Amino acid sequence: MDLDSLFKKKDAVSDCYIIDIFSATDNQLQEISNKMGLALDKTEMKRIKDYFQNKHRNPTDIELQALGQAWSEHCCYKSSKVPLKKYIYGIEEKKIVAREDAGVIEFDDDHYYCAALESHNHPSAIEPYGGAATGIGGIVRDVVCMGAQPIAFIDPLFFGPLNLPFKQLSKGVKHPRYLFKGVVDGIRDYGNRIGIPTLSGQVYFHEGYTGNCLVNVGCVGIMRKDEFIHSRAKAPGNVYIYVGGKTGRDGIHGVTFASAELTDESEESSRSAVQVGDPITKEPVIHATLECNKKGLLEGLKDFGGGGLSCVCGELAYSAGLGAEIRLDNIPLKEEGLHPWEIWISESQERMMFLVKPENVEKVLHICKQWDVTAIPIGIVIKEQITRVFYKGEKILEMDMNFLTGGPIYDSCTRPFVQPKTDEHEKKEKSFRMSDLNDVLKKLLSSPNVASKEWVIRQYDHEVRGNTVIKPLQGKLGVESHGDASVLKPLENSFRGIVITADVNPRFMERNPYWGACSAVDEVCRNLVAVGAKPDSLLDCLNFGNPEKPERMGEFYESCRGLGDMARALCLPFVSGNVSFYNESIKTAVPPTPEVLGIGIASDIRKCLTTDFKSEGNPIYLVGKQTEKEMGGSEYYKTYGIDSGIVPKTDTTVLKNCMNGILASIDKNYIVSCHDISEGGIGICLSEMAIGSDIGAVIDLSQISPGLRTDFKLFSESNTRWILEVKHGKHREFESLLKKHHTLFKKIGSTKSNTVIIHDNNVRFVSLSVDDIRNHWKQPIWSLMG
Amino acid sequence: MKIKNIKVGVLRIEGTNCEQESYDAFKRLGANPELLHLKQLLNIDCNKDEKRDVFDYQCLMIPGGFSVGDYIRAGAIFAARIKSKLQKNLTEFVKKEYPILGICNGFQVLIELGLLPGIDDAIPSSPEACLYLNDSNRYECRPTLLKHENNGKCIFTSKIPKNDIRLIPSAHAEGKLLFPIDRQKEYLKKLEENDQVVFRYVDPEGNYGGYPWNPNGSISNIAGICNNHGTVFGMMPHPERTFYKHQHPDWTRAGLGDLIGDGQAIFESVLDNISKRF
Repeated sequence: MDLDSLFKKKDAVSDCYIIDIFSATDNQLQEISNKMGLALDKTEMKRIKDYFQNKHRNPTDIELQALGQAWSEHCCYKSSKVPLKKYIYGIEEKKIVAREDAGVIEFDDDHYYCAALESHNHPSAIEPYGGAATGIGGIVRDVVCMGAQPIAFIDPLFFGPLNLPFKQLSKGVKHPRYLFKGVVDGIRDYGNRIGIPTLSGQVYFHEGYTGNCLVNVGCVGIMRKDEFIHSRAKAPGNVYIYVGGKTGRDGIHGVTFASAELTDESEESSRSAVQVGDPITKEPVIHATLECNKKGLLEGLKDFGGGGLSCVCGELAYSAGLGAEIRLDNIPLKEEGLHPWEIWISESQERMMFLVKPENVEKVLHICKQWDVTAIPIGIVIKEQITRVFYKGEKILEMDMNFLTGGPIYDSCTRPFVQPKTDEHEKKEKSFRMSDLNDVLKKLLSSPNVASKEWVIRQYDHEVRGNTVIKPLQGKLGVESHGDASVLKPLENSFRGIVITADVNPRFMERNPYWGACSAVDEVCRNLVAVGAKPDSLLDCLNFGNPEKPERMGEFYESCRGLGDMARALCLPFVSGNVSFYNESIKTAVPPTPEVLGIGIASDIRKCLTTDFKSEGNPIYLVGKQTEKEMGGSEYYKTYGIDSGIVPKTDTTVLKNCMNGILASIDKNYIVSCHDISEGGIGICLSEMAIGSDIGAVIDLSQISPGLRTDFKLFSESNTRWILEVKHGKHREFESLLKKHHTLFKKIGSTKSNTVIIHDNNVRFVSLSVDDIRNHWKQPIWSLMG
Repeated sequence: MKIKNIKVGVLRIEGTNCEQESYDAFKRLGANPELLHLKQLLNIDCNKDEKRDVFDYQCLMIPGGFSVGDYIRAGAIFAARIKSKLQKNLTEFVKKEYPILGICNGFQVLIELGLLPGIDDAIPSSPEACLYLNDSNRYECRPTLLKHENNGKCIFTSKIPKNDIRLIPSAHAEGKLLFPIDRQKEYLKKLEENDQVVFRYVDPEGNYGGYPWNPNGSISNIAGICNNHGTVFGMMPHPERTFYKHQHPDWTRAGLGDLIGDGQAIFESVLDNISKRF
């Protein structure tokens, strides 16, 4: 039988097809999957065949499409389950109130905060503006559907080099500058319009992202404890109310699209998988949803994510051990002629699903109407664990919940992996002569990964809602510098703060996924502590290449092991996360990129610190781990084209002691500014502290790791280190407090005039005015992006 | 009347998004603000207890945001909806010298409504000014310094000494004040003669500076103006974002002092004025 004759019209009215999988050969099963865009493999198709053979009937197209969605990599994490379970889950679980669309954690006696982080990589690589905007739209729904008011966005972004020559672009790949601008425009136009501040993030440039940029989006929300709502039904009879935007062909097969590599044809073939965002539909949906929830009218709440109606209806009922009966006839459509299967799996944006008691339906519809938000009852929760869908009077889908939404359990699906080779980079480094360190410092300041990100930050509204008390750009007005983390004061009557940061170093990751992942957690903790916050929880967005390749899977395992080891030692739970595989284009995979978002708690925001030097004559300390020759993946080596060296390691005992020591000194008001040491080492750290203040410093490196060459002292990126400016006259108390916490420190100089001067063993290596430093740091991205 | 009895209607429609912090600003000072959807004034989709009238309030405020996405021109659709049914009541409200405050998108709406610049009492059928795209052609979120230059007409700044410089941040893409191109000077002159210029952008030394201290290229560095009665006031920067000192971008340098931020006085001034007049 040829393939087409396996598709038969089901009946005269419902516009459904029956697919004769009983007659299909194994190869034809695969062809059916391909033809329908299901992204299911032969084994999975055979499993489906078995199921329907037991039911003595062939499936409809909508049933196969629903299975394609429910079982795809994106929805049920088939490659990642094993390593995640082994390394990431089970850490400090008691702290996690819920882990649904967003993770929920206690903020104070009366409030929870919640947070979510996910990727929107493939859509953004095809259509940067729409892809990024809808990424924001999706993540905000994840927070709203827990019942929380969104209060912050976090956007880590990864692109190829901005100055990449056009002739080096492969076919179908867009220039990093175009992607960067499009993504920032998308985040700006969507985030600003819905009135949630974009507070934090990361912008990183690396050749590995040229063919496949990464756009990760995070959102944090706050709610009263009694406003917290689950994404599950309460009882049979609960009414499904469809709320928000219309359903269209945009975003069809988005889930399956995310589960395949990008090719040079993705542009043409995948545009329909990128949704269209509409912030001005979304904004009132947020209001209406939160108002209904505050008034106690909702039994369950879930946003439309991957898989559309299919996933949202199924999961709300499945998680409660119940079933669903849905009618597609009244779903508002963007255009006529959508097939029922398209309605069922479309991922159009700006939609939420409410579950409401029958007696509250009218009240909910009234609130939505006031906000001009479409709200339509479309079905009910039923006792049997079955999903049924009707269209034009015909039953077009009927499957057991356990089979459809439960998804296959891939016990045997441990993908093969090989241990990444990390020693190649660590083999003996070639020696080289040290250049003039003034020149080196200037070069590093202009490196796009170090240089000012003002071009991005000022396009995002980071102050709307009025809760942002430590901003992403910090320091003296007009000369602000980068901060380590941003701080929100989310409650009117409390000075308790939520502190947010996000980080990963892709150059560490590609050399050593284990220590790279450890470094990411170390840096997130450093950032939080630098502003005066105790790390409270972590989120991860794991962006990797094709998991069917054992090398990629090996990177994934090692990264998870690193994240897990750190989190366990620090007693920090991963409250939410996301896995994004297949970030791979024709040429290369992205560097393994486990973005880590860290949330900390500041017990009193009035004690928080910024990175800018505060006044002349204050002693400057280097606090933390020994500075070592760990130059693998450093900005210094990158700038000089050296592809070797050891990736920085961490020691959680040292880290814990340092965090306690620094937080105790901040609490005692001994410290006036603090900055963590990361890309570009001590040299860049000191520079940024000076940039934000117009105050220079006189530094002597002699006491730091004697015997180490001066350039390594200055630009090593060893973990667990901070520079602190201590209040004049408090240095004795400060030192004894650090000693009490077994925290290592060295006094290395003091703030002075407006020049940064650095000595080592009585030789002056650096002498640059703060203005000179600022000019090198401030311009690069502006001049590339205009 | 007592401040606690002053009802402030904080107007919103889809895309308004600074309403909570604007509401909070009045609430913190002891007034009685209410978040008010425009449909409640237009009597659309309302239950009986949800209907409102402009004269239920002693002060109206249009907060910042992107009403209806600002897709046509910032504030244009919001203004058109108000005009469709409320023109008469609103004109009456202004005539009776009840104050109206427009911040950022709200300022754009007041311009579109023709309530600003409000050089004479007649409300024109089409706007006499516009808040145009920033010179940088992009959205700018940055601290701005405003010099108070009003001689006493504006009831929203009576508690700010003349020539005082206040840190009130800006966040907008369309904030460049312009008048009809052939009559710019004439308008400026009239505004100054009438004491309708309230705030001008300055640099940290207090001089009229160019970009970025003037974030949008506004004519004569104007950041905020009032009508000729001083009772309708619009400004691009956000005073509700520096209500407290810890909202200032540089408080870790300047200290927190008594916690009072530079924007607070605007809300205090209008409440004080209402309590004395009504």
